[in-house]
Amino acid sequence: MNSQLIDTSIYADISRFIRDESLRILLEGEVIAVVGYAAGRRKGSVQPIIACDTESAGRLMFSQASVNNLAVYLTKAKKEIPKSGKIGIVLKGCDLKALVGLIGESQLKREDLYLIGVPCSGVLASTVHPATELATETIAPKCLECDAHLPTGCDFVPDVALPPQQKSDLKYAVEIARLEALTPAERWAYWKEQFSKCIKCYACRQVCPFCFCEQCLCDRNKPQMVETTPRPAGNTAWHIVRAMHLAGRCAGCAECERVCPMDIPLNLLNRKMAKELKELFDYEPGFEVNDKGPLASFTDKDDQSFIK
Amino acid sequence: MKPSSVKYDFEPKIIAFVCTWCTYAGADLAGTSRMQYPSNVRVLKFPCTGRIDPVFILKAFQQGADGVLVSGCHPGDCHYIAGNFHARRRFAAFRKLLEFIGVDLNRLQFSWVSAAEGGKWVEVVTDLTERVREMGPMVEFKELALEEQWSGAINTPELKETYNAI
Amino acid sequence: MRKYISRQNLNTLIDKLIAEGRRIVAPRMTAGTPLYEPLGHSGEMIIDQLPRRSAKEAFFPLCEEIMSYEKSGQQVKLTDVDPSRFPETILFAVRPCDAAAIPVLDAVFSWDYKDEFFLERRRKTTVVGLACTTADDACFCTAVGLSPSDTKGSDLFLSPLEGGGYNVESFTEKGEALINSCSDLFAEESNAAYIQLANPQTEAFDLKKVKSWLDEHFEDQLWDGIATRCVGCGACAFVCPACHCFDIVDEGTEKAGKRRKNWDACGFWKFTHHASGHNPRDLQPKRYRNRIMHKFKYYDDKFGQTLCTGCGRCVRICPVGIDIAAIVEEINQK
Ligand code: SF4
Ligand code: SF4
Ligand code: SF4
Ligand code: SF4
Repeated sequence: MNSQLIDTSIYADISRFIRDESLRILLEGEVIAVVGYAAGRRKGSVQPIIACDTESAGRLMFSQASVNNLAVYLTKAKKEIPKSGKIGIVLKGCDLKALVGLIGESQLKREDLYLIGVPCSGVLASTVHPATELATETIAPKCLECDAHLPTGCDFVPDVALPPQQKSDLKYAVEIARLEALTPAERWAYWKEQFSKCIKCYACRQVCPFCFCEQCLCDRNKPQMVETTPRPAGNTAWHIVRAMHLAGRCAGCAECERVCPMDIPLNLLNRKMAKELKELFDYEPGFEVNDKGPLASFTDKDDQSFIK
Repeated sequence: MKPSSVKYDFEPKIIAFVCTWCTYAGADLAGTSRMQYPSNVRVLKFPCTGRIDPVFILKAFQQGADGVLVSGCHPGDCHYIAGNFHARRRFAAFRKLLEFIGVDLNRLQFSWVSAAEGGKWVEVVTDLTERVREMGPMVEFKELALEEQWSGAINTPELKETYNAI
Repeated sequence: MRKYISRQNLNTLIDKLIAEGRRIVAPRMTAGTPLYEPLGHSGEMIIDQLPRRSAKEAFFPLCEEIMSYEKSGQQVKLTDVDPSRFPETILFAVRPCDAAAIPVLDAVFSWDYKDEFFLERRRKTTVVGLACTTADDACFCTAVGLSPSDTKGSDLFLSPLEGGGYNVESFTEKGEALINSCSDLFAEESNAAYIQLANPQTEAFDLKKVKSWLDEHFEDQLWDGIATRCVGCGACAFVCPACHCFDIVDEGTEKAGKRRKNWDACGFWKFTHHASGHNPRDLQPKRYRNRIMHKFKYYDDKFGQTLCTGCGRCVRICPVGIDIAAIVEEINQK
């Protein structure tokens, strides 16, 4: 499929709206900080900032390089951000799903947050330079499968008209179907090659909003359930544990895959589990707070055809 | 069932994670009723299937199991009311994950065996043992465990030899 | 010694060395990612992409066994790894920023404790550097006193020429030995024009000034300002050619197992976590501060060198866009 440019003209307006609203809530004392995006040194690059004053709030912006899911900064795992007052946060639809998941897991309280939702046409894939234009070839694959371009239930959403979404290949769906059609031995070989590259930098874990455990099972050595060594055996175990612990919780922000320095397609595992959980338990992450995720609840009619 | 005197080339190692209230009692009943079942199975007792973390199954395969059985109380019979309902969902998901990674699910069996079902225990264990015996040893995780990660891939036989010699 | 080698002959050289059973490590694609890995043949080598991880792993692998144990009855058998059996290796097409880090690492690995695993590999490895023609806006070798044609750390250095081929300069006996081993593949130095090298757009830092600021500012707002957003992964340290922290773990069963040395990183929460539960670097800014301090102050205090070669890998890879060049520049401006 030929690459087509994606219209991101609304991002300039969105940036202005985010700045104005953040300045307002900071000045009026409604929040003590706004977690948002600001420009970095490299051309087009964007980094998270925690704006506590008008100077830093003036640097807030949004662009196709605003890839981070900022919800991670609100979790227990990040102790650096003061939790002494209400916090404002800028969220894309996928990020909001994660935040809603965290509320469902009693990690956050809605009333402690001021949510600034972003109508989003998509952000860049991790493989391209941040100054690249957004196009069907350079957009993050998650954005092609996104059903949450317009966040709902926020305290503030910039009033801009989202351009219509372009149709494109669904990379994850295609790749999952390809892998499912292989034999177990072929799939094993595929994942073995991928997992072997893992260097156990744990970037995937550290950026995941749902990896908020104060001590990860994979960091424990008494008892040691997962080998910490970055070699094929320990890596495979780590990835199986990670995928299982995120099943039914992952909101699909694909941060793990984006940050992996070794280009391991982590989100394939997440998407596969999401697909299975939808088929098995009719569950999908969304904007509604659920107290119990699919693996924290049950019905007496659940499938047990695999049990003797 | 008669004790088998046939000698096989390959005797699979089967690890059974069972709950103490139903399946363990069922296996005990099989024993006290002098029913015979393959001695390949090593039983590990847990309070409830709800306590059987998927990582235990993973660990069992990594440590050399050729097949794994997870067994507990029938739905509705859980001593802790809903442990097995939670387990049912968790294992439904975990199976799919293992399958996607490339593990042959024929090596993994789940069952409900009550304290009164000594016969069912024998049947489940025998079936799994026979099936895994047919399949041969589970080599995937064992092979992985033998692989070291030096500086990246070791891709020629000579180099492999040099490394193995170290 | 100065010589010329054509691209064709360079490939012939590599294939010949491989056929002789030598281990050749060079940038190649591994499952879609460029890495320094052993080559099967010269065609696998790629020189137009910066490998994702640095060349340090040729000396200091991500994970290596250093000992194994086996228990039978009351007997415990310990087996040490014998570094003298490491194979001779030739590292090809090493970027100047990667090659320059190797002498920097020599200092720490041969300091109070002589790390034979590192040093033996070092002795047995010939480093063939390659002048760099591809830089992006994350590169800043020129800011830390290096350049795309810096030969520091190379035994042999290749400078690409217009019309293909390379002028070759050797700096050490190892480099000369490599040329002499296949001298028919080399010709007299060419006077063809050099290909335009990369041109990183950064001003040189005043590293003395940066250090003297760091000397005085262990406590400073700067750390909170930049590092609150650091998520505490190991990505920056693991891709860095100069980071060299490792952790030693014993893994296995009560019957048999191995002791291994794995990369570690000061960004991790666990890095300074004490058995008592106390953690002196309890918040991320303190951990990130150590990264800057170690690179631009402590290492200088101890060994008179800077622990950064400006490869820009950490800048590209940081999940939250922490940019070491921008931070040092900010300190430089103070
Ligand atoms: S980010 Fe990638 S390399 Fe790092 S631990 Fe996760 S999968 Fe492994
Ligand atoms: S600190 Fe960053 S730029 Fe400097 S050598 Fe390490 S990875 Fe490269
Ligand atoms: S910067 Fe950190 S990880 Fe790198 S060598 Fe220093 S202490 Fe180790
Ligand atoms: S600076 Fe970036 S890459 Fe380094 S530990 Fe922090 S988040 Fe990870």
